[in-house]
Amino acid sequence: MKTYYIKFGVIIGVIGVCFYLFYPPTQKLKKGLDLQGGVHVVLELEKEENIEEKSISDLADRALEIIRNRIDALGVTEPLIQKEGTDRIIIDLPGVKNPEKAIEIIGKTALLEFKLVIDDESLFKQALNGNIPEGYELLYLKEKDERGIYRETQPLLLKKEPELTGKYIVDAYVGYDRTGFPDVNLVLDKEGAKIFEEVTGKNIGKRLAIVLDGVIKSAPMIKERIPEGKAVITGKFTMEEARELAIILRSGALPAKLNIIYQEVVGPTLGKEYIQKGFKASLYGAIIVVIFMIFYYLHFGLLADFALALNILILLGIMAGIKGVLTLPGIAGIALTCGMAVDANVLIFERIREELRGGKSPKASVDAGYYRAWTAIIDSNITTLITGFVLFIFGEGPIKGFGLTLSIGIIANLFTAVYVTKTIVDWIIINRKIERLRI
Amino acid sequence: MELIKNTNFDFLGKRKFFYVFSISIIIIGLIFMTIKGEKNFGVDFVGGDLLNIEFNQKTDIVNLRNTIGETKIKGSFTVQELGTESKKFIIRLPQNTSNIVLKKLEEKFGNNFIVKGKSIISPSMSISLRKKSIKAFLIGLIGILIYLTIRFEFKFAVGATVAIFHDILIVISILVLSGKQIDGLVIASLLTIAGYSVNDTVVIFDRIRENLRKTRSTDYISIFNKSINETLSRTILTVLTTIFVVLSIFFFGGETLHTFSFCLLIGFIFGTYSSIFIASAIVIDWVKKSSSRIKL
Repeated sequence: MKTYYIKFGVIIGVIGVCFYLFYPPTQKLKKGLDLQGGVHVVLELEKEENIEEKSISDLADRALEIIRNRIDALGVTEPLIQKEGTDRIIIDLPGVKNPEKAIEIIGKTALLEFKLVIDDESLFKQALNGNIPEGYELLYLKEKDERGIYRETQPLLLKKEPELTGKYIVDAYVGYDRTGFPDVNLVLDKEGAKIFEEVTGKNIGKRLAIVLDGVIKSAPMIKERIPEGKAVITGKFTMEEARELAIILRSGALPAKLNIIYQEVVGPTLGKEYIQKGFKASLYGAIIVVIFMIFYYLHFGLLADFALALNILILLGIMAGIKGVLTLPGIAGIALTCGMAVDANVLIFERIREELRGGKSPKASVDAGYYRAWTAIIDSNITTLITGFVLFIFGEGPIKGFGLTLSIGIIANLFTAVYVTKTIVDWIIINRKIERLRI
Repeated sequence: MELIKNTNFDFLGKRKFFYVFSISIIIIGLIFMTIKGEKNFGVDFVGGDLLNIEFNQKTDIVNLRNTIGETKIKGSFTVQELGTESKKFIIRLPQNTSNIVLKKLEEKFGNNFIVKGKSIISPSMSISLRKKSIKAFLIGLIGILIYLTIRFEFKFAVGATVAIFHDILIVISILVLSGKQIDGLVIASLLTIAGYSVNDTVVIFDRIRENLRKTRSTDYISIFNKSINETLSRTILTVLTTIFVVLSIFFFGGETLHTFSFCLLIGFIFGTYSSIFIASAIVIDWVKKSSSRIKL
């Protein structure tokens, strides 16, 4: 009798712990990107020719840091930013409100350059005809038209070699120009301030173009020498645009161009739809299984159903405990667990029926049923577990979640379908002195 | 209640017929697959854009298709309707065309629709996704094969292995024949099928092992048949409970899980079929040919 107290103690303990771990489920279960909506982006570094593997990896590391700063500035909760291989960066932004914007900000190279505008009429004409002189370049000033759409308006001839780049920026913040438009104020570090002072001092009366990613943002006239290392970018920005520009300038330029090779945007409505449908499918599936088991095995079916419920409880408890991510295929994995969980019990019950037909006593039949079914149960669970494991380790995105719930479900199944049901059956048979088993 | 009791079918007697039946489906499927080429694969395996949109009013799919056609984007696109209300659609587009198409849709339908989901998959990403899926699949499969070889005699392991390949090939064939596309989730389902449908085979082999130990007879066909009959009820019941759930996912789980659950359904059914008609049959034929005794 004492051993039963211990066994029941273990079972009740497990129930308690799991319940504590996952209740309330809406807070404790971590939802994957597909369920809560958000953005998943994979960026790949654009490789220049004859560049070493090692330096690609270094570039990617630097890019990752810069992207992390940009995302932090965006204020996304629980972003996931990681490097994959040498040249890829994976970014998960759950619950982001404006995904397109976020992707734009992340992917912007943000190479800021200050270049002198060349006023030479003949050179400019020559350049317009497609004959750009050595050491110069023709870039366009991008301005907004009346409808708020950016258009390349005015071409300007610039000295190719920048006077100064964004790498000297220590801070960038939004301010307002005289006409009330937001602008972006830059603060340069000591070295940058020195260079800037020199450049402005030498070129009074000329125009200095502020070029971001190859596009001229503005080209103000240098009126005087600027000694304190402060510059302003104006350009009829909206508040939003000015803020974004400040963010990317603050975080610095990316060391290389990054291409978006995979982008997945899940709207919040789709995530909710997934949860509803996944939950519905699991629930209906489970109900059919539960009813079928009672119908087919009577009291023993009830027992298997109890084990099934416990199986799901443990599965959810462990998921919450290890902070596993629940995805839509993960919910399918839970549903599938409902169907597979009773398999072990079916094997056992069928064997018990067989032993009873062979004329054994209830207790002996039950013992033999569990004992003889064990090898088949373990073999079949392990093969399924192998697949679950592999999908968890090598699977991509939501599929990982499927491997996770499937694996946990199967491990929990060995405990619930065998240990728990055996304990209860033994206890009932001994306590009630049952002489005939109906199964 | 007992549905299946004291059966005595000669499962192995007609094994030639089942060999032919299975091989025919597989061959037809593979021929179809070769003809269709890249169209067999979903966007995550070949690259492209995917839009999931919902209109707030009934929208004609032909109208939608024509509107997209007006953009004159290069390459083929497909529009698939979700549900029955003519409101939800999934649009598969060639790479980097989703913005052009969305602009066109805005021109035509204004604010009458929302973009619920959007994926853009470049060719280089699709190649690595494909590689990863195949790698996962092969590692999983090898794991199962090693386990079976350890647990059973070599001939049995081979029988179970052939049954697994059979199940996977049948699923792929039926998938292709029904015009569905192979994507990452399908590969995951194939691996799940490999892991799960071997269960029935294991249960039958387990019983064969038990029965062989009880007797000195070498009438393997009748021992095998007896074992299959004795375990028939549990073989069918276990897969039945799982199929209940798979059907529920298929009908209520939504579009994302549709092809996934379709594969599981076909795979589990044929997994049970192959456990009964293929796996043991192969062991029998091998034993007969080599005229050796089975040692377990």
